Amino acid sequence: MTRVGIPAGLFYHYYYPLWKTFFVDLGAEVISSSLTNRQTVEKGIAVALDEACFPIKVYFGHIQELNELGPDYLFLPRLVSVEARSYICPKFMGLPDMIKASLPDLPPIIDMVVDMSINSKGLEQEIKRVGNIFTTNEKAISQAFRHGREELCKYRQLMQTGFSSSEAIEIWEGQERLLTTSADLQLGVLGHGYSLYDRCISMNLIGHLREMGCRVKLVETCSQDEIEKAAASLPKRVFWTLGRKNVGAALHMASDDEIDGLVYLACFGCGPDSMIKEFIERRSNGKPFLGITIDEHTGEAGLLTRLEAFCDMLRRRRKIDFESNLPPYGQYACGSENSL
Amino acid sequence: MNVYLGIDIGSVSSNFIMMNNQKEIIKNIYRRTLGNPVKAIQTGFTDLMDGCEEVTVKGVGTTGSGRHLAATLLGADVVKNEITAHAVAAAQFYPEVRTIIEIGGQDSKIIIMRDGIVHDFAMNTVCAAGTGSFLDQQASRLNMAIEDFGGQAVKSRQSVRIAGRCGVFAESDMIHKQQMGFPVEDIMMGLCEALVRNYLNNVAKGKKIEDLVVFQGGVAANEGLRAAFEKVLGQNLHIPPYYNVMGAIGAAILALEKSQGSRQNSRYKGCDYIMDGQFLSSSHECKGCPNLCEVVAIKRDQDILAYWGDRCKKWEGSLSQTEKANLQVV
Ligand code: SF4
Ligand code: SF4
Repeated sequence: MTRVGIPAGLFYHYYYPLWKTFFVDLGAEVISSSLTNRQTVEKGIAVALDEACFPIKVYFGHIQELNELGPDYLFLPRLVSVEARSYICPKFMGLPDMIKASLPDLPPIIDMVVDMSINSKGLEQEIKRVGNIFTTNEKAISQAFRHGREELCKYRQLMQTGFSSSEAIEIWEGQERLLTTSADLQLGVLGHGYSLYDRCISMNLIGHLREMGCRVKLVETCSQDEIEKAAASLPKRVFWTLGRKNVGAALHMASDDEIDGLVYLACFGCGPDSMIKEFIERRSNGKPFLGITIDEHTGEAGLLTRLEAFCDMLRRRRKIDFESNLPPYGQYACGSENSL
Repeated sequence: MNVYLGIDIGSVSSNFIMMNNQKEIIKNIYRRTLGNPVKAIQTGFTDLMDGCEEVTVKGVGTTGSGRHLAATLLGADVVKNEITAHAVAAAQFYPEVRTIIEIGGQDSKIIIMRDGIVHDFAMNTVCAAGTGSFLDQQASRLNMAIEDFGGQAVKSRQSVRIAGRCGVFAESDMIHKQQMGFPVEDIMMGLCEALVRNYLNNVAKGKKIEDLVVFQGGVAANEGLRAAFEKVLGQNLHIPPYYNVMGAIGAAILALEKSQGSRQNSRYKGCDYIMDGQFLSSSHECKGCPNLCEVVAIKRDQDILAYWGDRCKKWEGSLSQTEKANLQVV
């Protein structure tokens, strides 16, 4: 059986169920690298360009690990745009070339261009081209892609309930995961999914927050409408897809009284992040905000200190708000003045 | 007498304080960690308890990057991050505080306070140019003890502008200014101002510095730096009497508040526990998965007290219940 390797980094976190279903339906076997671990990071840093941002460096590590498994093909999509009038960070456009240049001896690469900035015609052709590697049956190809989209939809529904992409993929693959229910703080946690939801790159930021008694809301827990409506309030349209989603989700959460604070995880050396983070901080309406920037040298201890301090701050602030809102004559144990 | 202990273990200094239930400081110890926190805790603690045989320890609070280690060795009722601990201490001495500038040897922070609680904060991330080590470095290049630095710097009448974006530029610029013949005190004052600019650019980053401003941390003793801050900000800085052990004070206050609200006995393990035991920390690489975690174990004689560094908590999970209870963060 033809084996297609999908690296477990970058847009794996957004599209893995789609791609996997597509290839499996066409009769291929899909293998992927293990979730990011320290070795992935070290291998990646050793070969990637210095100027690359952290998640891109890590991606290089994933490819090396996959390569050792000896796949027949490597799937490295070239993501340019996934929606009209918006783009993915330019680093993704050249990614397959960067990889071919720094890693020789790779198996044949399936380099599929995803550019939907104008319409989806080009993508349809690309799907056909890629599908033809496995079959000439065009109907089977478009059916596999349709099936892929359905699985993607299921996967996204999981994320809407508050699972991170890593967790949602695990559930989608048949594992069991539970969300903790005991929490006294609600935080909006934002950032690019391939960093934030990667437990190694983010140093398990989401897991730590949950352990500290926080319920975590993500970009994916907001609806498309909520995000676009909030993002439209900016004076100029943000044309990076991920950036706009983050800003939109952040502004939407900033106006939600149930949310106690916002956390933004940025990557050192990321152009879009340096702007988006500022945007959110300045426009978040006085909602408590914690910005965290990470790179390969960041230590977990410093992260924990900040997260703990942030949670402490929110709890102590809330306590004071609560006390200053108490009526001076004391509260009724239950009921109000007009009822018992 | 009933007392509360506060312990702040940082990478550069380890601080210990003893406080009575009126929040009065009875004793404080400030010493260098010197890369061996276990030893620093043992000796610092011995000094703290020396001559205090009559006291009863009612609560222990730990903070700093070594807070979990200290809690393991001593038994702690409160294990708190540095931000909260510093804020609590500053608010104790200055209830009106709205800004805390804290500069230590290796890190620096700004804490914005409203109504006595933390409203916003930031810590320096990678760059040391906004911390005490920046001055340490430059002082040694000028062949001067860091303790004398501030006193010399304030003699300056006209500071020299030094490009202090980072230690490397600062050094070459400083040498250049020396060669041009500027008096050394003017250069020193210039360095203080460079540090202040670094701090404001990298740490405070546009946060509003409102009165009352408290300046604390090991570096607060440096008069040159204080003068530079006051000049650049145009505001008065208040330096608390125990400026270099504020984290420890905060931890002690939190331990006191906790003990007053509860009937439980302190988790404090007693003097003998720490003084008579042989503590050893060892590390090994776990080969359980590709993460290859560097797992650190703390032992007292033959008993393992704690594990750190295991991402999956597999090692920590192997400890018995009582040991785990001691590690709980409160
Ligand atoms: S958006 Fe930022 S983090 Fe993502 S690939 Fe581009 S530079 Fe890297
Ligand atoms: S401690 Fe856990 S995560 Fe770390 S290497 Fe061992 S098994 Fe892997």
